[in-house]
Amino acid sequence: MAENILPEKGLSSYRKVRNALLGSLTAVAFILAVTPLLAIVYIAYDRGKAALSLSFITTLPGGFPIGIEGGIANGIVGSLILILLASLLSVPVGIWAGLYLWDQSHTRMAKITRLLSDLLLGVPSVIWGVVGFFVFSTNTGFGFHWGFSGLAAGLTLGFIMIPIVTRVTEQALRDVPRSYIEGALALGASRFQVVRGLAIPAAITGIGTGILLGVLNVLGQTAPLIFTNYYNTGIPTSLVGSNGSVGDLAMQIFIYIHEPSKALHVKAMAAALVLTVIVLLLDMGIRLLAWGSRKYAQRMG
Amino acid sequence: MENGAHDPLVPKIEVKNFSAFYGKTQALHNVDFTIFERKITAMIGPSGCGKSTFLRSLNRMNDFYQGFRVEGSATLDGEEIYSPTVNPVLIRQRVGMVFQKPNPFQKSIFENVAYGLRIQGVKSRSVLADIVEKSLKAAALWDEVKDRLNGSAFSLSGGQQQRLCIARALAVEPEVILLDEPASALDPISTARIEELMQDLKDRYTIAIVTHNMQQAARVSDRTAFFLDGTLVEVNDTTKIFTNPEDSRTEDYITGRFG
Ligand SMILES: Nc1ncnc2c1ncn2[C@@H]1O[C@H](COP(=O)(O)OP(=O)(O)O)[C@@H](O)[C@H]1O
Ligand SMILES: [Mg+2]
Repeated sequence: MAENILPEKGLSSYRKVRNALLGSLTAVAFILAVTPLLAIVYIAYDRGKAALSLSFITTLPGGFPIGIEGGIANGIVGSLILILLASLLSVPVGIWAGLYLWDQSHTRMAKITRLLSDLLLGVPSVIWGVVGFFVFSTNTGFGFHWGFSGLAAGLTLGFIMIPIVTRVTEQALRDVPRSYIEGALALGASRFQVVRGLAIPAAITGIGTGILLGVLNVLGQTAPLIFTNYYNTGIPTSLVGSNGSVGDLAMQIFIYIHEPSKALHVKAMAAALVLTVIVLLLDMGIRLLAWGSRKYAQRMG
Repeated sequence: MENGAHDPLVPKIEVKNFSAFYGKTQALHNVDFTIFERKITAMIGPSGCGKSTFLRSLNRMNDFYQGFRVEGSATLDGEEIYSPTVNPVLIRQRVGMVFQKPNPFQKSIFENVAYGLRIQGVKSRSVLADIVEKSLKAAALWDEVKDRLNGSAFSLSGGQQQRLCIARALAVEPEVILLDEPASALDPISTARIEELMQDLKDRYTIAIVTHNMQQAARVSDRTAFFLDGTLVEVNDTTKIFTNPEDSRTEDYITGRFG
């Protein structure tokens, strides 16, 4: 390996100065990009370590005010349920829409769909919450009348996720070289065979990233939950109806931080740390899945 | 070239009064052209004169461009290539194609060659192994890769990748092979191997090759067609084109006076 790609010797002093300047800018940009993560982890750990223990993630909150005793198992389970419900809706729909936009990219219908999908990306999450409330939760008027429930929240979050998955899927497919697709078509492959056997496997890492971005977005949402689920200190046996609310880590942190209790503030920070670890695990899990399915596709037709 | 001159010329692809359009721009103007069976036909001409458009029209690869359409007639063994009742997928199985830049799939060497068969539903491992071996041998690549068939196609050199793409095209047993500047991204030694390979293949296949390189056309082909600005200026035996062309524009081009 070359030690230094850019030889320092023989450079004019102008270029030396420019190298040093751009090098420092790069360093500053890097520090600015990672500092928030370090700050989050450091502050959450420093303020929350007193509450950390195995039972913190395995037990339900108890005591008064609720949460003074016990852990955040309700939040962990609830968050996972919400991710699952949101993904069940958004992953198939988003990938399908992304495929459509890629395949039909020049048609008027696709252009309209793309525009609408991008508009949805900019809708504030509190609006999603209000609309989710009217469509899924409210007990009067039109809608599903599911009450404040995991299903209402999961689907609302799923709809938030669809345009994210759609956009990233389309972009990942666009990044598959045209020559690669043409190679298969020239062998007599049908469009479906090309999509299934080549385009999706080649784009799978990007599609995985899209799903991850969507899931992480969902994990961090609180506003939509306020209108469609609120919060549960236990683990529900149903996902609809008046007892169908689920816990949620982001909501739990939000609620604990607002309580005038030192002990709950400590728990909120510990929960933030747990949330960060869950994000990390999801990231690695989705990368592993993408890697596995690419390996699988390389073996198969 | 060999005793080829005495073979009867059997038309394989016949193109009559053929025009091609990308939306409003016309890329080919009333081309009349016959590609004969088991001959190598070279297409030369300056960049942008429509060589690729013509070649890709023959296996309907241009169908994937928005707004592409053709007029006139193009037949394969007498059957209209653009007839509404023809399935373009079947045309592409009969008329294979190799591209300018080697474009192997992100799969093993074996799976690259087997791909065309797999999509036709061939599952038997032994049948696949058989055809993969045969195709790699026909593409003069077998000896170099037989010990690493499960290795990635990307581990091959550019020239080997291009021969892999030829093997991949041969595996589905096409009747015609279209090559669009197949050696323009390769070094001289790999280029020579591809040219040798074409000589081996012409006993069994009809070959049409687009090339930028006039020496290459002169070396490998039986017939040469000269395109200019979307029209076919002249098509004839290669020796005739390069020694005594009928059209002065052809002469200007091959003597390097323009293009
Ligand atoms: N996909 C396309 N869309 C629009 N115009 C095209 C497309 N491909 C080629 N053309 C045009 O058609 C003409 C012929 O191009 P091409 O067949 O690629 O020439 P060659 O292969 O001889 O260099 C050029 O003017 C080119 O700009
Ligand atoms: Mg070309």
